[in-house]
Amino acid sequence: MSAVAAKPAAGGAMNPTAMVVGLIMLIIILAIAWQMAPGLGLMALIGVIIGGVLVGFGVHFVPVGGAPAAMGQAPGIATGVAMLAAGAGVAGLFGGAWAAEQGIVVAVVTGGIGGGLMMAITCMLVNFVYVFGMGIPAASGKVLKDPITGDSQPEYKSQGTEGHGLPFISFVGGVIGGILGGAGGTLIYIQLLNLYKVTLPTVLNASAADVLPVAVSAAGMFAIALFLVNAVLTAYNITGTIEGPHDPKFKRWPRAIVASAVASALCGLVAILIVTI
Amino acid sequence: MSVKIEVIVGGVPHNKIMIAGFVCTLVCLYLSYLNVATNTTLFSFFGGLAAVAALIWGSHTIKVLCSYGIGTGVPSAGMIAFGSGIIAMLLATKFNVLAPIVAVILGAIIGLILGYLSNAVLNMKIPAMVQALTEMAVVGALTLMGFAVLITGSFTFAGLTTGSVKILGLISVPSYQISFIGGGLTAVAFLLGAIAIQHPFNACLGPGWKQDRMLMLTAECGFLSMIVAAVMSFAMVNVVAAVISLIVALVCWGYTYHQYILLSKRDAAAWLDSKPIPDTEGH
Repeated sequence: MSAVAAKPAAGGAMNPTAMVVGLIMLIIILAIAWQMAPGLGLMALIGVIIGGVLVGFGVHFVPVGGAPAAMGQAPGIATGVAMLAAGAGVAGLFGGAWAAEQGIVVAVVTGGIGGGLMMAITCMLVNFVYVFGMGIPAASGKVLKDPITGDSQPEYKSQGTEGHGLPFISFVGGVIGGILGGAGGTLIYIQLLNLYKVTLPTVLNASAADVLPVAVSAAGMFAIALFLVNAVLTAYNITGTIEGPHDPKFKRWPRAIVASAVASALCGLVAILIVTI
Repeated sequence: MSVKIEVIVGGVPHNKIMIAGFVCTLVCLYLSYLNVATNTTLFSFFGGLAAVAALIWGSHTIKVLCSYGIGTGVPSAGMIAFGSGIIAMLLATKFNVLAPIVAVILGAIIGLILGYLSNAVLNMKIPAMVQALTEMAVVGALTLMGFAVLITGSFTFAGLTTGSVKILGLISVPSYQISFIGGGLTAVAFLLGAIAIQHPFNACLGPGWKQDRMLMLTAECGFLSMIVAAVMSFAMVNVVAAVISLIVALVCWGYTYHQYILLSKRDAAAWLDSKPIPDTEGH
């Protein structure tokens, strides 16, 4: 078979056995956390899992175009999932981290706005480049009409392409993805920060003010690491490119929820064990 | 079932590279433990060598994985390697002298589960997936540990979270801000490693792929990252130790860069040393 035909094999099918095994793993990890770090640690882990699932679900909304989009042969932003998700997540994380002292709700909302804003700016400028730089209109190849505006798509689609540019629905999807990703990343950060703030002074035998830099950096690093793991797993789920919430690949999200939950639980457990053993 | 696009023709088999990289990394990490034995930081540069050895192994693992055309781009593999690796590495530092071995075991467990998730739950069904993600998490953890040793001279949790500030150049006060984790140097080490691991295969892939050229590029990228890490180590370790690290990094980078250019010229279809346009009279 030629290299062109060797597309990734991941289909839309679910694997029920693996899903059940994943859920059992999740329960085992939660049980370990309950044994090793009851109370604060377990609560932090649950927060981390929710954050990770938000990230995994949010990435499905982001219109990832990859290399075909750079050549104007597929809709979406012309880069890979890892780059886009890292951009939105880190922008959201920075926004949320500034608001960390104002409580979890304000911080998570601020993180969501930060991520959404980053994606909105990216999507708008990407369309500027597509329309004014490359001279191509925005047209989706997956639907006949834009689900939000009702604009007809096939007339604007060039032959031999899967669509091009960034249709309105993809723009909206990008912003929603950014909001979910930024909020999820910030939730992970806040949960770990609160845990480290309480436990690190006893672990390092120092005052709370002294260990604050360690708590902030460690929580931030873990948040970014968890974000990247979840984003890449989701990228494996959608095998590279997706147009947005109207893409048929979007229906694969239940698999990513299970995978993200288990991966976040595993990595979160390790992050919590640092201050408990 | 996906189809493998490229096959390794000739060259060293992957298992050999894996074992060599694994042994070299662990030996170099433990050689840096001479720091503790001699109560200096002069042997910190072994951390950088460990990181480069791990990177060479990791970039070949990326080649094995990404030859299947996973559809997400080569950089994503580097990102998941370091995302899972840093988590394993930070917990492993709690185990003092056993830290490198614990990092390997923890990285392998995390990578194994992530590999299972992508292959079974996400239905990727790529034969090399589980092994590659396992190796990659181990590589990520060991590379970060190598950079941590290079920058701070130690791979223990206490060594990575505690530094010291000199007030008026006389009194030394312990500080958590001036440290590998507290100062946020973890993030820099993370990306220095991630760039070095993802770039070589991304740059060398294609029908003209040659194993020795890619691995030489990896070594070159690794030593380039080591130069930056060695510069950062001036803040943490003895000046003499940092200068030694910097010199080792610069010399090795120069050598590998030269070798890489030679290999590139060897593999180029037709290479012409075009001189600058000569200045002729009247211009």
